Amino acid sequence: MASVSELYDVTWEDMRDKLRKWREENYRNSEQIVDVGEELINEHASKLGDDVWIIYEQVMIAALDCSRDDLAWSCLQELKRQFPDSHRVKRLAGMRLEALERYDDANKLYDSILQDDPTNTAARKRKISILRAQGKSSEAIRELNEYLEQFVGDQEAWHELSELYINEHDYAKAAFCLEELMMTNPHNHLYCEQYAEVKYTQGGLENMELSRKYFAQALKLNNRNMRALFGLYMSASHIAGSPKVSAKVKKDNVKYAAWAASQINRAYQLAGRGKKENKCSVKAVEEMLESMQITMS
Amino acid sequence: MSEVELSCLAYVKMFLHASLFPHCSVNGLLLSSSSSEGPVCVTDCVPLLHSHLSLALTTQLALTQVDVWCAQTQQRIVGYYQANASLSDSSPSPCALKIADKIAEQYSNAVLLMIDGRKMSPDYRVPPIVMYEHKDSRWTLKDKHTIMLHQWEETRLIASQLLNSLDRTLLVDFDSHLDDIRKDWTNQKLNAKIMELASPANGSM
Repeated sequence: MASVSELYDVTWEDMRDKLRKWREENYRNSEQIVDVGEELINEHASKLGDDVWIIYEQVMIAALDCSRDDLAWSCLQELKRQFPDSHRVKRLAGMRLEALERYDDANKLYDSILQDDPTNTAARKRKISILRAQGKSSEAIRELNEYLEQFVGDQEAWHELSELYINEHDYAKAAFCLEELMMTNPHNHLYCEQYAEVKYTQGGLENMELSRKYFAQALKLNNRNMRALFGLYMSASHIAGSPKVSAKVKKDNVKYAAWAASQINRAYQLAGRGKKENKCSVKAVEEMLESMQITMS
Repeated sequence: MSEVELSCLAYVKMFLHASLFPHCSVNGLLLSSSSSEGPVCVTDCVPLLHSHLSLALTTQLALTQVDVWCAQTQQRIVGYYQANASLSDSSPSPCALKIADKIAEQYSNAVLLMIDGRKMSPDYRVPPIVMYEHKDSRWTLKDKHTIMLHQWEETRLIASQLLNSLDRTLLVDFDSHLDDIRKDWTNQKLNAKIMELASPANGSM
């Protein structure tokens, strides 16, 4: 098979920088990381300086994701040799055991880390992800709640908890987690939109109105967020169609829905310009908007 | 008890969808272009989501748009498929049952297919699918011999061939469509690729 450097005509520096970018932005593109990283490690390890260690770690985690235990194992050996007493390397060894579904062994390893250092958050989170992998959602939720009592600022944990609640259909609690995240990240349109989606799913007039407001806020933060645009359209349509609302509220919401529909149409027209492939999906959206306008009036 | 026939096109797309998002639960709709009564014949599928399966908005949007598209192309929604994030769990989640119920309201022979992650290795000898059917308003497990996949060997090869090539990234689900609306969830390009690979295999039919 052709190497990455030949295939894409890139230098080893390009490959190193690419890996750094993926690392910093927390991409989970494990296959690409393995392709680029394996070649970098095999052929250019000596040039990488101290970067090599973090690359070993990154490639190892990606290798576990792709069930490339051979690669994961060799990365781990390099790291163990360099950092024989490191908790971070020990955690990686635990993650390899998790990938092999040896959950008890992994748990033991994490426990030994926690015994040395009870504040090791990474090991605690791994233990929670084992519960998730075993399908023990309610236990994972309980542990995560306990964890958050101690580390209330851990946003990743709040987000994970919201996902767990969403999976369990516990929307009120999921909303609470997302409120927490919105408070610390008021400019993040994704949290805003997700909160709106949870409220939308909960249903009822009050939740629907909240959902519409937060879809609108998400759009204000990022006007290219299509989910938020569709969400604004759907929530406003629901409110306008409700028999409980006053004539004024109805009129306002018809206006919001019409605005959202025109924006959706515009976005699809722009996206579909000169392209044949998405003709079908564009047509489907147009007809959906038309048919829903009829039911609203 | 009726039999269910699954086309190569539908299977390959389901398989690719589950393979592209191994750490997520994925779901999608099964379509049929045959109007005849009798055995359910799944001719195509639309991959829907790979995140937040139990939030209503995207599911509603997707169902409405797929419905519209089906009406335009003389197809109908005949079932639902899902693959759970956890490999060891191939039982339908509450959300799977709910959506499948909705489909069964419109089409009484509807089927619910769960992809069995444990059996998804390319050299597995039978389709890695668990099938449920709607009986007395409940979903009951069906005998696996009632899924028919003509030319399973060829289908399996096409699926793993696509998975190992860059063409796998052609697969678009409704979720990725919402992230970038230039991507087409009807998957015309990928369909053409699958048909191209399948055509010599179908020559004998």
